[in-house]
Amino acid sequence: MPDKIIPEKILYSVTGIFDHPDEIINAAEQAEKAGYKKYDINTSYPVHGMSTAMRIGPSKLSYIALVFGLSGTTLALLFMWYVSSWDYPMVIGGKPYFSLPAFIPITFEVTVLLASIMTVVAMLFIFFKLPNNSHPLHDTDYMKMVSSDRFGISIQASDPLFDEVKVKDFLQNLGAHHITPIYFDESEISVKNTVFEPKFIGFLLAVFFATAGFTYFSLNYILAWGPFNWMWNQHKLNPQKRSELFSDGFGMRMPVEGTVARGYMPYLYKGNQAAASKYMINPLLPTKEVLSMGQQKFVTFCSPCHGYLAKGDSRLRGQFPNPPSLHSEKVRNYQDGDIYHIITEGQNTMPSYAKQITREERWAIILYLRALQRSQNAKETDIK
Amino acid sequence: MNPNDSTENFAKNISMQEPIKLPGSINITGWILLIIGVLAIAISFFVDRERSSFNLLIMLMFLLSIGLGSLFLVALEYVAGAVWSTPVRRVSEFLSSSLIFLPVVAIILIFNMHDLYHWTHSEYVQSDKILSQKTPYLNYVFFIIRVAFFIGIWLLFYFLIIKNSRKQDKTGEQVLTKRNTNLSAAFIPIFALTITFASVDWMMSLEPHWYSTIFGVYYFSGTVLAALASATLIIVLLRQKGYFPVKLLQDHLYSLGALMFAFINFWAYIAFSQYMLIWYANIPEETSWMLQRWTGSWKFVSIGLIIVHFIVPYFALLSQPAKMNPKRLIIMSIWILFAHIYDLYWIIMPTYSRDGAVFGWMELVFPVALVGLIIVLFSYKLRNNNLVPIGDPKLERGINFRL
Amino acid sequence: MSFDYSKEIPIIEGGPKLADIDDVIARPLDTRPDRKFYIALSITLTMLAIGAVSLGLTFYYGIGMWGNNQPNGWAFDITNFVFWIGIGHAGTLISAILFLLRQKWRNGISRFAEGMTIFAVMTAGIFPLIHVGRPWLAAYLFPYPNEHGIWINFISPLIWDVFAVSTYFTVSLIFWYVGLIPDLATLRDRTAGKIKKILYSIFSLGWRHSNRHWHHYEMVYLVLAGFATPLVLSVHTIVSFDFAVSVLPGWHTTIFPPYFVAGAVFSGFAMVQNVLIFVRKIFNFEHIITINTLERMNKVIILTGSMVGYAYAMEFFTAWYSGNPAEQFVFINRAFGPYAWAYWTMVSCNVIFPQLFWFRKIRRTIPYMLIIGILVNVGMWFERFVIIVTSLSRDYLPSSWRMFYPTLTDLGILTGSFGLFFTLLLLFIKTLPVVSISEVKSVLEGAQPSHLHNGSEEVISHSSNDSGVNHA
Repeated sequence: MPDKIIPEKILYSVTGIFDHPDEIINAAEQAEKAGYKKYDINTSYPVHGMSTAMRIGPSKLSYIALVFGLSGTTLALLFMWYVSSWDYPMVIGGKPYFSLPAFIPITFEVTVLLASIMTVVAMLFIFFKLPNNSHPLHDTDYMKMVSSDRFGISIQASDPLFDEVKVKDFLQNLGAHHITPIYFDESEISVKNTVFEPKFIGFLLAVFFATAGFTYFSLNYILAWGPFNWMWNQHKLNPQKRSELFSDGFGMRMPVEGTVARGYMPYLYKGNQAAASKYMINPLLPTKEVLSMGQQKFVTFCSPCHGYLAKGDSRLRGQFPNPPSLHSEKVRNYQDGDIYHIITEGQNTMPSYAKQITREERWAIILYLRALQRSQNAKETDIK
Repeated sequence: MNPNDSTENFAKNISMQEPIKLPGSINITGWILLIIGVLAIAISFFVDRERSSFNLLIMLMFLLSIGLGSLFLVALEYVAGAVWSTPVRRVSEFLSSSLIFLPVVAIILIFNMHDLYHWTHSEYVQSDKILSQKTPYLNYVFFIIRVAFFIGIWLLFYFLIIKNSRKQDKTGEQVLTKRNTNLSAAFIPIFALTITFASVDWMMSLEPHWYSTIFGVYYFSGTVLAALASATLIIVLLRQKGYFPVKLLQDHLYSLGALMFAFINFWAYIAFSQYMLIWYANIPEETSWMLQRWTGSWKFVSIGLIIVHFIVPYFALLSQPAKMNPKRLIIMSIWILFAHIYDLYWIIMPTYSRDGAVFGWMELVFPVALVGLIIVLFSYKLRNNNLVPIGDPKLERGINFRL
Repeated sequence: MSFDYSKEIPIIEGGPKLADIDDVIARPLDTRPDRKFYIALSITLTMLAIGAVSLGLTFYYGIGMWGNNQPNGWAFDITNFVFWIGIGHAGTLISAILFLLRQKWRNGISRFAEGMTIFAVMTAGIFPLIHVGRPWLAAYLFPYPNEHGIWINFISPLIWDVFAVSTYFTVSLIFWYVGLIPDLATLRDRTAGKIKKILYSIFSLGWRHSNRHWHHYEMVYLVLAGFATPLVLSVHTIVSFDFAVSVLPGWHTTIFPPYFVAGAVFSGFAMVQNVLIFVRKIFNFEHIITINTLERMNKVIILTGSMVGYAYAMEFFTAWYSGNPAEQFVFINRAFGPYAWAYWTMVSCNVIFPQLFWFRKIRRTIPYMLIIGILVNVGMWFERFVIIVTSLSRDYLPSSWRMFYPTLTDLGILTGSFGLFFTLLLLFIKTLPVVSISEVKSVLEGAQPSHLHNGSEEVISHSSNDSGVNHA
């Protein structure tokens, strides 16, 4: 290394090379004895007894393993407890919601996973401050030698006891050869902020577009390919498709005539309002609940045409044949059965509401309508 | 020590040391414990024969654990070619001599089998379809033949291996190591089968309907733990009091501690496997055994087993310094020996007392006799043998052993 | 007397110098692949292609392409899964458990075995995925808050499998990579190629062989080994739970966990031994991966093989002893039923042939051990087949008994799994050091300082306090 020619170079350390493991142990012991703090031993494999010679205290990394291991245990158990007995409790195989024996395997795995990852991450990135490819020792003959079969010591210039001549003498006395000073490179001293470089921004953009494009294609196209058809193609009759089985081509069959569905009560007075008026009586009493149900259903189904107060004044007025007011003499004199019949079957333009409004709701609507009629044509006795 | 010393010189150096003399008080204590224990056992047999039989069964299994487990450790050293344990191997050899007392206890138990085993009640077996199917295996004659055969074969290997080892002290022949290695290789598969069937016979057949394939392995894990713990206890005590003729480094202690730690985990693994599979599959004929150990106060004994046999020793031996701390090792060896008795109690006693755990003076006197027996036996062996196998070719490497 | 008990057998033979190790191990990386390599690669790639076509058919037409039926819902798929996971176990055993047991002979083979673990787990991971029929839905196996508001079933052993296998893969990969860092740094400093240098620099993270780093590194390696040891036990234990927590006779046996672990180590060691025989020959590693190392592996094979034999015997005994007719039938059916040929293949390959390793000569002769190793792997594959298929094909209800016959697709996928494994292995051999440079160096003769001249007790008492907590 042409070290003497460029004096403005900053010295990092002075290095020496040894050939035998006993010598390097001795070197470490002597360096400790001489009081050097900032020095390092470089060997291509761990040399037994070096930690003692360098007087390095016990590694704290095992505590990291312990702490993260225990947090893994706790997290896994808490999570499984939350999932299985709190958020969505389900009985499976007759086991309790919180089945500790069944949770032990996963607890163990999570413990090991978290502890292993965090220990290694802590070692590499926090303890060793790696990756670091711009260390002054890199790409030197010194590193080449210790990387293969030599044993090196490097005493740093930042050590308070450092004195280039003394250190060289010190190494000489220990029997080192290849005693060389190591300097910082240009790039290792000046740290540039590279975040805003166009290259870096371009790289980020490229990553962004590649990710977005791939996601778009995989979600919209790739997932619709061949095997990924999400069971779209199945051997069954789809709606609107012709059935090969029946001669009329319908997949759905009509029920046999006279079939009555379960829970369905046929309307007895089809097309016969007179009979309905005569024989049907409102089974409900005008209680508060019934009236409020009637009001709700009236507002939902009747008010769009007849208006909120049944005056026939909805906003449809003028667009259709005008919906009638329900306060007319005729309607007021209807029997409950008449109104029921009209709701069920419809009248003139009004369609049947049998599908939308249950029987009970119809009677409730009738009670509410009676109350409305009374409010618009109140008798004197009502005021009392 | 000069590493260039030849093996012969090395052996001479050790043998020239004074023979090890333990203080007489230890031997006397052992005798006192043994005599008190045996007397108390005799009394307890008069007071409650059935309960005493169960307690004697615990004692038998514990004796078997220490004796056979120690022989296994010796065989393991030969087969694995381990060197670190050579300086301390004699301790296990001495302990394995407790196998000699096995026949005595077994004979007493055989005379009390009717109290212990349900399947000996022929009137009951005849009315039980499953049990009558098992009679080709579970019957008096075959049981006694098996017991005799197993004990015979253990004693045979004990005498052969120990004889070679002692002979080597004088001759230092390497052939003897070779011979013992071959013997041990033959012993280990035989050990695996015999200890399995011994545990099935003595303990699993207490509940003759119940079965578990792993039961032999479960007992084996406890056996090795007990043997390791007793060896560790004695080794560390002797080392701390300065009786050990060679220097045992912390590396040796660490190896012992690490092995104990490993087998604590192994025991927990086997115990968990057995419990887990029975609990999960929930088949009535299997769960009955676990449910019995969840009845009444047995529940607390069962929970206690997890704490005593796993959690406490696990955390006590977890850290690396703890594995080579002599004080910690002594305490944990005693703890593990206790845990093994606790384990055997948990396996055996629920058959005697189905409604809940029982504990009284009877449960205490049997271990007292056992401890006395082992102390007497060990100090006898120590007086008549070298504590270190001075003729063993691996000894020097064992003493210089580094992790 | 064949050897001297008072002397330690050197792990690396021939007394090479430290620098020689670099040259020997890095040679496959520095030279261009020769014709033999391409021939081997083309064979494995053909096998891989067969597997890929079979998988394509499976995905397109569905798993009806397989021989699976009612009641044989599991057959080749799960057999292959368990087989490959088992192969992977040897690697972790060698790198972690033997490390904790201070078996220094592992240093020559640990890197390679770890690599095999990773590839075997990758191969194994395919099978549960394709077995579910629609592998693209496998994301549902992970617990994430989803639009259905429902979670995975933590009580199911199949979910435990997901956690076990993915943890195992991750930790094995970390373990492998941590071991590779110093070697990559050594390669970085000796390579001449520019691109190689950049790649090695990136992946070695700028490792400087600093002893302040080695100090922590060794601790972490110990901690990782301490974690990997119970982990490797747990993985095959959980695989065995897949079967053993059920109530199916022949599956529900309490000995399954240790029995599966022993079987896994057994087959894994056989596979590692087989491949190492070729590797040491082709790359002239005979003095690093010595006959002594192979002999020790064969001893582990006979040990684990005997454990497996013990489990077979105990299963039979317990089936008889249980007095449970269903249990008894299953084992009679295994040995004398329609799949008796598979059963006896399994017993002879797993229990009988490995017993030949009791003879020292067979243990130390390459052709013999190669053949026995292959037989062991055949036997272990059949073990899983026997466990799965014989139990399923004839369970409680005789009216639904049915035989399983593999289809061409089944066989194609099995071939493909071997293709994938060996392709990855071949690529690994040519791209990374297959023997750990730093670990081999550390066990060379004269590589460590002579302890005794330092005053032994002092050294030990210091280094013993080196490290705080060890989960060994």
